[in-house]
Amino acid sequence: MDNKSEVKVLETKNISKSFGPVQALDKVNFDLNKAEIHGLLGENGAGKSTLMNVLYGLYKEDEGDIYLRGEKVDFNSPIDSIRNGIGMIHQSSTLVPEFTALENLILGTEGNKMTLELKEAEKKIKQLQDDFGLKFPLGTKVKDLPAGVKKKVEIIRAIYRGANILILDEPTTSLVEKEFEQLLKSLRKMVNNGVTIVFITHKIKEVLKACDRASVLTGGVMQGTVDTTNATKEDLVKLMFQNQEINITESAIPIIDVPEVEKSEKPVLSLNNLSAKSKEKDGTDLKSISFDIYGGEILGIAGISGNGQKELAEVIIDPNNITEGEIDLLGEKVNGLTTNKIFDRNVFYIPEDRKKESILGRGDIVNNVLLGHQREEKFQSNGIIKWKKVRDETQDVIKEYGVKTPDEKQQIGKLSGGNIQRVVIGRALINDLDLLVTHSPTAGLDMASVEFVFKRLVELRSEGTAVLYINEDLDELMEVSDRIGVIHEGKLIEIFNQDQYDKYEIGSKMIGG
Amino acid sequence: MAVEEKTIEENSNWQKFWNGFKPYILALVIAFGISGAIIGILGYNIPKAYQTLLFTSFSSQRGFVETLKKFIPLTFATYAFAIPFRIKFFNIGGWGQMLFGGTITAIVGIGLAGLNLPAIIFIPILILSAMLAGALFALIAGFLKAYYNINPIISTIMLNFIAFYFVNFVATNAPWKAPQSGHPMTLKLPEAALLPKVFNQIHFGIVLVILAIIAIYYLMNKTVLGYEIKATGINPDASSVYGIKMKKTLMITFLIAGAMGGLGGGIEVMGVHSRLIEGFALTSGAQYGIFGILTALICQGKPLGVPLSAMFISILLVGADAMQRTLQVPVELVFLTQAIIVLMIVVLRRQAGGSYIE
Repeated sequence: MDNKSEVKVLETKNISKSFGPVQALDKVNFDLNKAEIHGLLGENGAGKSTLMNVLYGLYKEDEGDIYLRGEKVDFNSPIDSIRNGIGMIHQSSTLVPEFTALENLILGTEGNKMTLELKEAEKKIKQLQDDFGLKFPLGTKVKDLPAGVKKKVEIIRAIYRGANILILDEPTTSLVEKEFEQLLKSLRKMVNNGVTIVFITHKIKEVLKACDRASVLTGGVMQGTVDTTNATKEDLVKLMFQNQEINITESAIPIIDVPEVEKSEKPVLSLNNLSAKSKEKDGTDLKSISFDIYGGEILGIAGISGNGQKELAEVIIDPNNITEGEIDLLGEKVNGLTTNKIFDRNVFYIPEDRKKESILGRGDIVNNVLLGHQREEKFQSNGIIKWKKVRDETQDVIKEYGVKTPDEKQQIGKLSGGNIQRVVIGRALINDLDLLVTHSPTAGLDMASVEFVFKRLVELRSEGTAVLYINEDLDELMEVSDRIGVIHEGKLIEIFNQDQYDKYEIGSKMIGG
Repeated sequence: MAVEEKTIEENSNWQKFWNGFKPYILALVIAFGISGAIIGILGYNIPKAYQTLLFTSFSSQRGFVETLKKFIPLTFATYAFAIPFRIKFFNIGGWGQMLFGGTITAIVGIGLAGLNLPAIIFIPILILSAMLAGALFALIAGFLKAYYNINPIISTIMLNFIAFYFVNFVATNAPWKAPQSGHPMTLKLPEAALLPKVFNQIHFGIVLVILAIIAIYYLMNKTVLGYEIKATGINPDASSVYGIKMKKTLMITFLIAGAMGGLGGGIEVMGVHSRLIEGFALTSGAQYGIFGILTALICQGKPLGVPLSAMFISILLVGADAMQRTLQVPVELVFLTQAIIVLMIVVLRRQAGGSYIE
């Protein structure tokens, strides 16, 4: 802890907050110096967002006090905190996609006037943009802006509304390395102008790079605050993982032992000069993609979100929008087959969006385990489902994959992300697979669950399955993939072999460099 | 970590049961309270009105038979709405499907009259015609949704008009028209085409409705098709990712719904009126299609909830008629009660965070 005598900009004393039986925050002390970037580090579910939501007035603390510039305050809603100069930028965009950047910026600030005074606002905003190096076109609709620019719009919006304490919740989630660097420069400029910034993240490397000080939360308990100018990675790791035995890499990813495995002689999956139309209106069409995946191999696919990853995964399990080229599974052309037919050939899929595409949220675990297998001989005969068989299989999945649930009749949507993913993976691996297609299977999971997912992928590989592993996170890809292909605007730009892995090289290909 | 694993709540079974029924009980209390107040304000005897409303069905054998006579078409109309409702599509056309099924039944029945078929052959032919007619008629709406993305609410309402005037056309034109009748109606169907009475009182439709209840329950809970319908209803995106064909499932639900509606209409023709008669799918002046929607909303279209809530609504309908006859309380007051019940149930259920059974 540092002992500056000056008054803290913001200070919490013994903040506790629980949701039902769960103690999300336990007597948390936290403070901010004026004009610093303060990292708030912790895993998913450590209580970072809860703490910040308390400061922002979204949640009411059960116990404890908040002091703003030395004075005790009591926030009952975000309106109170915004009035007091606290701005929060949430992980996912809260902008109106159909509005222009300018319209978004002035939304809610019009006061009681019936007409919009755009000119005046525009002038003020341009000034702010110049001051902080946050340039973006004001007249463009937000839906047409890249993720990194949207972040900038949200930051300017908070500043425009008078924020001098800015809370950034996982701001780098959808940014590439280069965008992150740019963002960092702007944050520095803001700090030099007297703004205080809280930078929430679960990535140690970001804290070391971006922050002046950092506090570590685990399981709702504040583990301590360090000065990052003197701190090392090891110091932070020690604070973060003192209760867990997980070996992690430099980028805070679990280290997995990836054994030597002999690849199959012939490829399991081949794409030959494949072009395909996206099923969605604003999707990315695939253009002339060719690659092979062999049994016993994990082929990683890197790329910025929205460059055709989803389309690539979907065209393999539903090869029906193909405009050119062909897909071969174990040497047989599968163009035009239905998903059921593809699954019959020992293929399964774990989609990117868990809630939207993986599960039947209001259904129980049994119904969810059946999904995708419902037409297999194993679980039905003549169209009649063998429910006993399905229940037995579900209990096996729960046991084998360590799903924490009272029983198999639990509604799946009520489980935590990690437990849902265990069910989803268990479902995928009910049968021995020749090919698993998986898209960001670790998104939003805590370290232990990430390790679990990685171990399963590597086990599959050892069993001779071919794995197509799509992910945005390069560190994660490099950890488990035998090769990494980079996809950009629907084209496969290059495939890197393990000995060629270079983060910056791959990263620059991802943005089309 | 601790926070991630919080969300599982374990409720005792009793509590689950109570939570499930609470909205219904509250809705009933509120709805009967409001309509009771109105009955009182209008100067009627409240206890007597309620007694008549709720117990007429059970006070005589005739009352009970009347209730079953309403229960049969109402159950079919309810399934017609409830099955597409499982995948979040509104089939407002249950009534039109009943009308169409009934009309085709009359056409086939009159058309085959000369063959002197025995009942054992004639009746199954007519049952199948009614189901097929309703199914194909409803399929139009399913097809328009699947291939042209036309909202079934719109298409089924339009199809209702078509069905209504089709009844009118058949009932007022040769060769079907009954001569010398003031009201549009067709000739009587041959004796062998009429549903026999069972237990000396109620027509054979009661057996058909029980078979339908069992069949729908079995379909929804035991078959792959039922599973795919339910899965699509919960999450169409995930279902389609995992190989369930949305268009096919959608059209099948309309086929089943139409078959149910058509059979309901056919049974009315074969079991109640012995002929096609304009206005045959009405009760207390309102069409069964609307009551089917209302009944399905009460039970959320759950296969076994359908007969329960259909029975409940039938009791109210019979009670309402009796109330009007004996106490001069207008039948519309009961419609009002039913409307409030449905609105309350929908609101309360939403407040409780949606349903928990799937």
